Amino acid sequence: MNKSKIIGLGVLLVVIITVIAFMFFKPKALQKVDGYLGGEKIGLFEDEEFKSIMSKDYGLDVNYKKAGSIDMVRADKENMNYLFPASQTALELYKAEIGTPKKSEIILNTPLVLYTHANIKDKFIEHGYVVEENGSWYMDMEKFSGAIIEGKTWADIGLPELYGSVSVKTTDPTKSNSGNMFAGLIANSINKGVVDSKEDFSNIMPDVKNFFGKMGYMDTSSHDLFEQFLKMGVGAYPMIAAYENQILEFAVSHPEDWEKIGQDIVIIYPTPTVYSSHVMIALDELGEETITALTDNKIQDLAWKKHGFRTGVSGAQDPSVFGVQGVTNQINKVMPMPDFKIMEMIIEELKNY
Amino acid sequence: MKKRILLLILGLILILTGCFGKDSSDQEKSSDQGKSSNQGKSSSKTTEIGSGSKVLKIVSGSENKELEDIMREFADDNKTKIEMTYMGSIDIMRELQSETDSYDAVWPASNIWISMGDNSHRVKHIESTTITPVVFGIRKSLAEELGFVGKEVSIKDIMEAIENGKLKFCMTSATQSNSGASAYLGFLNALAGSPEVITEEHLKDQTLQNNITKLLQGVDRSSGSSEWLKTLFLNGEYDAMVNYESLIITTNQELVSRGEEPLYVVYPYDGMSIADSPLGYIDNGNQKQEELFLKFQEYITSDETQDKLQKLGRRTGYQGIFDNNKDVFNSDWGLDTEKVLSPIKTPKADVLNEALNLYQSDFRKPSLTIYCLDFSGSMSGTGEEQVKEAMDLILDQDKASSLFIQANQAEINYVIFFDDRVLDTAFVEDGSQESLSILNQRVQEQSIGGGTNMYRALDEALDCLAKYDLSQYNPAIVLMTDGRSDDGFSDFMIKYDEFGQDIPVFSIMFGMSDSDQLDEIANYTNARVFDGREDLVGAFRSVKGYN
Repeated sequence: MNKSKIIGLGVLLVVIITVIAFMFFKPKALQKVDGYLGGEKIGLFEDEEFKSIMSKDYGLDVNYKKAGSIDMVRADKENMNYLFPASQTALELYKAEIGTPKKSEIILNTPLVLYTHANIKDKFIEHGYVVEENGSWYMDMEKFSGAIIEGKTWADIGLPELYGSVSVKTTDPTKSNSGNMFAGLIANSINKGVVDSKEDFSNIMPDVKNFFGKMGYMDTSSHDLFEQFLKMGVGAYPMIAAYENQILEFAVSHPEDWEKIGQDIVIIYPTPTVYSSHVMIALDELGEETITALTDNKIQDLAWKKHGFRTGVSGAQDPSVFGVQGVTNQINKVMPMPDFKIMEMIIEELKNY
Repeated sequence: MKKRILLLILGLILILTGCFGKDSSDQEKSSDQGKSSNQGKSSSKTTEIGSGSKVLKIVSGSENKELEDIMREFADDNKTKIEMTYMGSIDIMRELQSETDSYDAVWPASNIWISMGDNSHRVKHIESTTITPVVFGIRKSLAEELGFVGKEVSIKDIMEAIENGKLKFCMTSATQSNSGASAYLGFLNALAGSPEVITEEHLKDQTLQNNITKLLQGVDRSSGSSEWLKTLFLNGEYDAMVNYESLIITTNQELVSRGEEPLYVVYPYDGMSIADSPLGYIDNGNQKQEELFLKFQEYITSDETQDKLQKLGRRTGYQGIFDNNKDVFNSDWGLDTEKVLSPIKTPKADVLNEALNLYQSDFRKPSLTIYCLDFSGSMSGTGEEQVKEAMDLILDQDKASSLFIQANQAEINYVIFFDDRVLDTAFVEDGSQESLSILNQRVQEQSIGGGTNMYRALDEALDCLAKYDLSQYNPAIVLMTDGRSDDGFSDFMIKYDEFGQDIPVFSIMFGMSDSDQLDEIANYTNARVFDGREDLVGAFRSVKGYN
């Protein structure tokens, strides 16, 4: 046996001892979890406090890839432990196309709302589209969808400085949840009630197509949409549909900016509105563990206070802590979405349009 | 359990030994690469900022070249080297589509190109860094003459001026750069009668097709990227350009310091777009890179840096222009930060792609390209192979289409084969598949000759161009050579000046190249030198962007 072989054996021995020692004495390592996440929840997942609770209390190192709620169901799920879309529609789609998931649970809730600027809200009030109640603003969705389909221009409601027709920008309904929900909401509004039959569906579809056909290219992430709304100015994004939590989260995370722009940015609740239930779909055991961790009171509390998600456990949710004008204590006028089958038909039509 | 542990240990050893072996050779390789890019080839679009051991690689729109000083501060403070690779935003979209792992971050002009390119959902932490609209900058006296000063101007007004021959302008290629694509969509929108949004039906409309083709005849000179358009503009004698508001501002700062007339900014109300300059992280699963990226992003979006960006004419942030920067946006130059900027809607992805295809193949001013191919002795072997491969890439329309450099129906292609004399000339006067493949075949058959004189070939090229009405084409000469030629530059200058037209002479280097003579020609003709050995596709896309 020559010298180098002896050295080699020595190294091998050291390695073996080290590995065994490591296996028996080292503290439990963090488990890496990965999955697809809707853009609106990135703020929460990037929160240091969130990461610390997940790692210290549950031993989880939670990673994510950003994807739209509908997209993620059909995306490549290899090496993924969870999907965290923003709706139950995504869950139903999952069940229909893939099967019953290991586990699924609603973790967070937030209503779909409209965001606009103060001067636009004033004109909407003047023209009878928006009413004020207990310090919050509500959009008459029947009337509003009618105006858009009719092709009313901004100039028609007293805003000649804005180019083109009255519109609301949403994310792509075929790819992302907030747009998808808005499609459901618009369909219901045009139908003057929940779309629940094939007949309703055929009646409203031309108008729904017309509505989305006018939008052109649509963002795929509600996070990007909201950011663009805030940064690109009133001319580029007069009005958007997004989640309530987004403005609350922004006000907490950007206090200085909020102080400057908080008076101009307005939240309007559609009447009726639809609720986004952020449901986590576990793809394996690690996903299940993640669900358990996310339903921890500490996480749920953090989700409301810093990220604006309404949850089950925080008790009465007082929105005044955010310093955002017009946020309501309770969301009352909620309408169910059209069921999964109808939504799928709507999305299919919009895709081919 | 025992078995498992044993296996684990064995695996570990394998991995360990594997790692050591590979690591050292990798290091060698990467330091070699470092050396070669350090030589600063005139073609290389990658710029290294700072010299730290940490490296952040960013693929970015060329408009961010102006931010290099600002980035250098970060690089120095954080012992980081920032590698900026500049390309048009639409090329960046294609990079993303190809699932590249060459970059840590992406920084195009507009979010739409990330959105359309990131099919595998790898880009995250996207944040808009600055806002700037795409506008027309027109020499102020001309803008006054056209009645554009102090009033609302529409794309229609601008088109009228173009049609009457009163206005010619430069723009970037719509199939490569965001500003060019934005302007082009603005034109389409106005020509279609300002619909809510452009649809496939609009694109099929014959009248619209004719009108847009006519309109694009007004393009004086096009370029592959916005920053280079600015440089081109400052070096040439042009009346107007479509570019970012911020680049018009910095152009004006330069023009005024030279004592020249500034440009007046026109915001067409029915055809404007806004660039939001999003900076996003490409997740390749490396936590350290992610942290470095986030630090960089935080630096760029900090109030302090945003203040500096405003001084470069960018609008920033949630709060608008800071009070101390209001005078950067000089109202004498037509700038107006109070105006509500209402951009047109971007069409759906498939319509947008179709519009870009049509631009490339049908609408844009056809190119008239003269390829001068070096078949002298020094090109024998590798050089010759590279040239033939290159010509195959551009003439084979299947290959060219996939790169958005396919021929335009009405374009003209010449090939001049040279050594120390002109060996032969071949040409086709249409852009059809058949014609181009005949030309391609001819190129592939050419064999090597003797000495080198590229100026002879250029002389011949100018003679060829003289046969055409050049106002109908985007003319360019493309030299493919190793650049080692007998001298003849002074004679070339005389001939070029006599010719009296703005013909760029681009060079693509092959074989054992030397760029000195080629740089001389490029500088004189307002063109550029590319390295075909490093990035042929990039070189071709750039050249085609310019004609």
